[in-house]
Amino acid sequence: MEKGHKIQFYLIIIYFASVLVAFNNPPALAHKVMIFAWVEGDTVFTESKFSGGKRAINAQVLVYDRDGRQLLEGKTDKKGNFSFKIPKLTDLKIVLNAAMGHKAEWTVPESQIREAGGAAKGKNPVETIKHADVGLSKEEIKELIEESLDRKLRPIERMMAEQQFKGPSVTEIIGGIGYIFGLMGVAIYFKNRGKK
Amino acid sequence: MIGNRTFLTAQNPKYKNINQSEKMHISEGVLSAPVLATGAALAIVGISVGLKEMDNEKIPQVAVLSSVFFVASLIHVPIGPSSVHLILNGINGLLLGWLCFPSILVALALQAILFQFGGITVLGVNTVTMALPGVICYFVFGKLVRQQNRLISLAAAFACGFFSVLLSGILVAVALLSTGESFISAAKLILLAHIPVMIIEGIITLFCVAFLKRVKPELFGGVYGKGS
Repeated sequence: MEKGHKIQFYLIIIYFASVLVAFNNPPALAHKVMIFAWVEGDTVFTESKFSGGKRAINAQVLVYDRDGRQLLEGKTDKKGNFSFKIPKLTDLKIVLNAAMGHKAEWTVPESQIREAGGAAKGKNPVETIKHADVGLSKEEIKELIEESLDRKLRPIERMMAEQQFKGPSVTEIIGGIGYIFGLMGVAIYFKNRGKK
Repeated sequence: MIGNRTFLTAQNPKYKNINQSEKMHISEGVLSAPVLATGAALAIVGISVGLKEMDNEKIPQVAVLSSVFFVASLIHVPIGPSSVHLILNGINGLLLGWLCFPSILVALALQAILFQFGGITVLGVNTVTMALPGVICYFVFGKLVRQQNRLISLAAAFACGFFSVLLSGILVAVALLSTGESFISAAKLILLAHIPVMIIEGIITLFCVAFLKRVKPELFGGVYGKGS
C-alpha cells in the first residue's frame, strides 16, 4: 500500500512538471499569428501579433488588391506595426508572412476605405456633411451615425479579434484538472458504495 | 462593419481543411454522420472494456494520466505553417491498457468543453483515434517493456511512444477519408507534421519508463495491475 501511494506521488510530480513546461515556454505556445488592420484618413494601420501577445517583429507584410495583384510590401517594426498610404480604392487584402510559414490575412473592404475618406477619388463623406447647410437628410444622418459608430467600435472589434487568438487560460486549465480529480472522487465513491 | 472581415482561424470554413489535415483533434462539422456514429460505437466498446477493468486502485492512476493527457495537448511545438502538440497516448496506453479509453475520453471531453479543441459530436472519433493506438501499443510493446533487459525495455518504450502517434495519425487520415480528402495526401500531411512529435514522445515515454522502473518496478513486473 505504501508503494501504491508513492507511485501516485511520483506521477503527480511528473504531471506538475509538465504543467510548468507548458507555462514557462511562451514562444512554444505562440503558434498562431494574426494581423489586424484599420483605416484612419488616407492611411492603413496594421498590427501583428502572435497568440499570447508576442509582437511579430520584422515580418513581411504584403498588400494585394481585389484581383490579387500585389500593390506594395513592407516589414513590421519593433512593435509589430506597419502602416501605408492607401494606394488604390479597392478591397485591400493584407497578408502577413511571419517566420516559420506562419501566415495571416485581413481584408479591408473598399466601403471602409471610402467611409474613412481615404482614397482621393472617393467622395469624402465628412466633407459632404460639413457643407450641408441646415437640415440633414436621412441619408446623411445615417452616414454620420455609422461613421461615429465605426470609430467607437473599432477598439472593441480589435479586442474581439485579439480574444479569438488567445489560447486556453491558466484558470481554465486548472479548472479542467480539477474536474478530472472531481470525477475521480465520484468514481471512487460509487465503487466503494457498490462493495458495501 | 463587424463580420466583413476575414479571420484566419479554424472557424473560417475556407481554411478548415488546411488546418484540419495537420491536427490530431478533428473539429466539429468536418466528418459525416456515419463516421461519427462508427467512432462513437467503437469508443463505447473501448470504454466499457476499460470500465470493467477499473478498480479502486486504478481510479487515481487513470485520473492522473487523464490530466497528463489533458495538459500535454497544450504544449505546442511550432512546425511548418501550423503547430502540433504532444499527445502522450503511448505512455497512457502502456500504463493503463484498456483503461486509457476512459482516461482519454474524460480529457478530450474537457478539452472540447473548455477550449473548443475537437468537439462534443466528434468525441467518439477523437477518443478512438487517440486511445486505440495506446491500447495497441500496450499489447504489442507491453511485454517487451516489462522485460528485465534494460536495453530491450527502453527501446520498446521509445517505440511505444513513437508508434502510438504514428497510428493516431493514420487513424485520423482514415476518419478524414469521408470528407473527400484523399487518404494518401491527408496521411502524408499529418504524418509529416507529426514526425518530430513521434520522436519527442518516444523520448518522453522512454524516460517515463526508465523512471517508473526505478521507483516502482512492480508496475512493469508480472501481470499488469497486480503491482502493489
